[in-house]
Amino acid sequence: MIRFTNLNKSYGKRKVIDNLSFTIQANEIFGLLGPNGAGKTTSVNLAVGLLEPDSGSITIGENGSPHSKKDRLQIGVATQALAIYEDLTAEENLLFFGRIYGLSGKVLRDRVDWAFQFVSLENRRKDKPVNYSGGMKRRLNLACGILHDPKILILDEPTVGVDPQSRNAIFEQIKLLNDAGKTIVYITHYMEEAEQLCDRVAIMDDGKIHAMGTVENLIETHGGKPVVKVKMNSVSEVIETDDPIRKLDDLRRTGSIDKFSVEYPNLERVFLKLTGKKLRD
Amino acid sequence: MIQILTLALKDLTVMFRDKSGFFFTFIFPIIIAVLFGSIFGGDHNGGTRTMTVLIVDEDSTTASQDFIKQLDAAAEIKIVPSTLAVASERVRVGKNTAYIAIKKGYGDASEQMFWGDPPEIEIGVDPARRAESAMLNGILMKYGSKRFQDAFSDPQKMLQNLNISKEAIENDSDLDTTWKNNLSQLFTDLDRFFEFESNQIEELDSLPADNSTTSAENNVMLPLLITQKNVAVLKAGPINAYAISFPQGIIWGIIGVAAAFGISIVVERTQGTLQRLRIAPISLGQVLAGKALACFTAIIAIDIVLVTLAVTVFGVSINSFVLLLLAILSSAICFTGIMMLLSVLGKTERSVGGIGWAVLLVLSMIGGGMIPLMFMPGWMKTVGTYSPVKWTILSFEGVMWRGFSFSEMLQPVGILLSIGVVSFLIGVIVMKKTS
Repeated sequence: MIRFTNLNKSYGKRKVIDNLSFTIQANEIFGLLGPNGAGKTTSVNLAVGLLEPDSGSITIGENGSPHSKKDRLQIGVATQALAIYEDLTAEENLLFFGRIYGLSGKVLRDRVDWAFQFVSLENRRKDKPVNYSGGMKRRLNLACGILHDPKILILDEPTVGVDPQSRNAIFEQIKLLNDAGKTIVYITHYMEEAEQLCDRVAIMDDGKIHAMGTVENLIETHGGKPVVKVKMNSVSEVIETDDPIRKLDDLRRTGSIDKFSVEYPNLERVFLKLTGKKLRD
Repeated sequence: MIQILTLALKDLTVMFRDKSGFFFTFIFPIIIAVLFGSIFGGDHNGGTRTMTVLIVDEDSTTASQDFIKQLDAAAEIKIVPSTLAVASERVRVGKNTAYIAIKKGYGDASEQMFWGDPPEIEIGVDPARRAESAMLNGILMKYGSKRFQDAFSDPQKMLQNLNISKEAIENDSDLDTTWKNNLSQLFTDLDRFFEFESNQIEELDSLPADNSTTSAENNVMLPLLITQKNVAVLKAGPINAYAISFPQGIIWGIIGVAAAFGISIVVERTQGTLQRLRIAPISLGQVLAGKALACFTAIIAIDIVLVTLAVTVFGVSINSFVLLLLAILSSAICFTGIMMLLSVLGKTERSVGGIGWAVLLVLSMIGGGMIPLMFMPGWMKTVGTYSPVKWTILSFEGVMWRGFSFSEMLQPVGILLSIGVVSFLIGVIVMKKTS
């Protein structure tokens, strides 16, 4: 569990975190959804002690602090940047980070074997990451984050620059980790990923949480009704309706439909409604 | 501590894996040292080329001048005429390896082939330079024995020598009468023999010459009486040009390491590994300590590699291994500190690389990294005082040829340690603030 309480952080006059308060529950996949510059990565950096808040507090577990080395051991991070050494082999990377986290001997070797198996890179462990594809590098980055068996795993944009196949592989691995009892904090600006993976999602912009809940709940509360876009007799019309199929059937009875589409509410629309801007702005 | 060692080991592995980095850190300095050493006549005294020796002619006779001519034509040494006072002083201050003094009476002694003392030669050399001394003895004996060779191959000259010897024997009042008679009889018989030989040779003069000669070394008589005068060297000059070029090579290696590690801290920051390390249960201090340890180790490694090469291959000598250790440690501490300071000069690899190399090149330029300190004009030497490069070179020159004592070594070592500690602290403080 990570609890953010009345957190504030500014860079000069620019406020990047504005009175942030929310709690990430144990064993959930929590999505932090927002455009670039929303304050997502700053929140993570505060959570792991890389940044000091201007005010407010962060609690890890029951009473832990990001500044405690022991409490930080509970957290694993797959950073947005590929934080791996390209001149070391994949295995050397994992052995290095394992030792930094205090692992040694057989425990270290077993964890390295497990991590390679988990991210399906066991056949490429002797290769240098410079010879990896983007997706493989992301998986190695993930392996570095989970090597020390943390309770909480923070994944910052883990699918940036990844092909669909690797992306699906990463999703499966995240679900497996969650099934194994890990708490996942998933930071993304891809609403499809948040919809697909997350138990709960917080919509963040300008350093604030605008809404938080399950995907269904957010859509139901803030998404509005489904929309039918129809073109009849060269005239286009946008109609909000609870039952798009019945509405289309009604329209068909009144005349000939040239073209139509149905848009169901999604997180994109929720975000637009809450912040007045599109997610990828 | 394990984490710091792990970090250092990782950094060293990364450094050695980077081929271009390895080249500029370890190979380039060796090339610089060897190249500059060769350009400045590096092995002029390394045993394979001629040794420059001062020659003093105290006898000023035809025989002594003939001997000087022989030495002048010799391939093994190059002689420079001098006076005894000047020659002795030059050897004493280390400007020349040795002098040869042809003592008074050389000419007379040369004439007494079978009687009296052999001609006397004095060698003035530093007693520590045993190899040079032995070599010089050998060369002098070789050319000294030519006197016998010439005499035995020239019956006219031999006749003259016999007459001189006969006269000396007859005039010697200390010699027993029986011995006197016996020796006079022997020399009279020899006289007849050489007279006959002389006539034969005159007849054979028109025939091609026979080059086979009796080896001087087989002659039982001593060709020269060589005495050695020990001239204790006050401060030796460089034994060869490599003693100057290797300290320069070392500084280039150190600069390469400092620049590489300075940039590597920024690379860690930009590629995100520093973030991952700082999230890990280690402090920023440990991360920086690991980096500093790796840099320190790499500098010591390059120092050891170059010093070993200088000593074993290029004949550079070390006057004190304790002082050498001081030079190595102080230079490593100094440039580890500078590395830390360089790493906070910019936020990107390009800026730190650019600024770092610019700063290091200027420091090298004014500190004797490009032009040896001894060739610099006075004002440049003054400016160079502000460069740690100068003090590093000076500390290594101190043990390679300047013959520094412990107290003389304290100045460069103290300055290097101060620069290192201050730079390191500034670097760490700025790094902590900006991180």
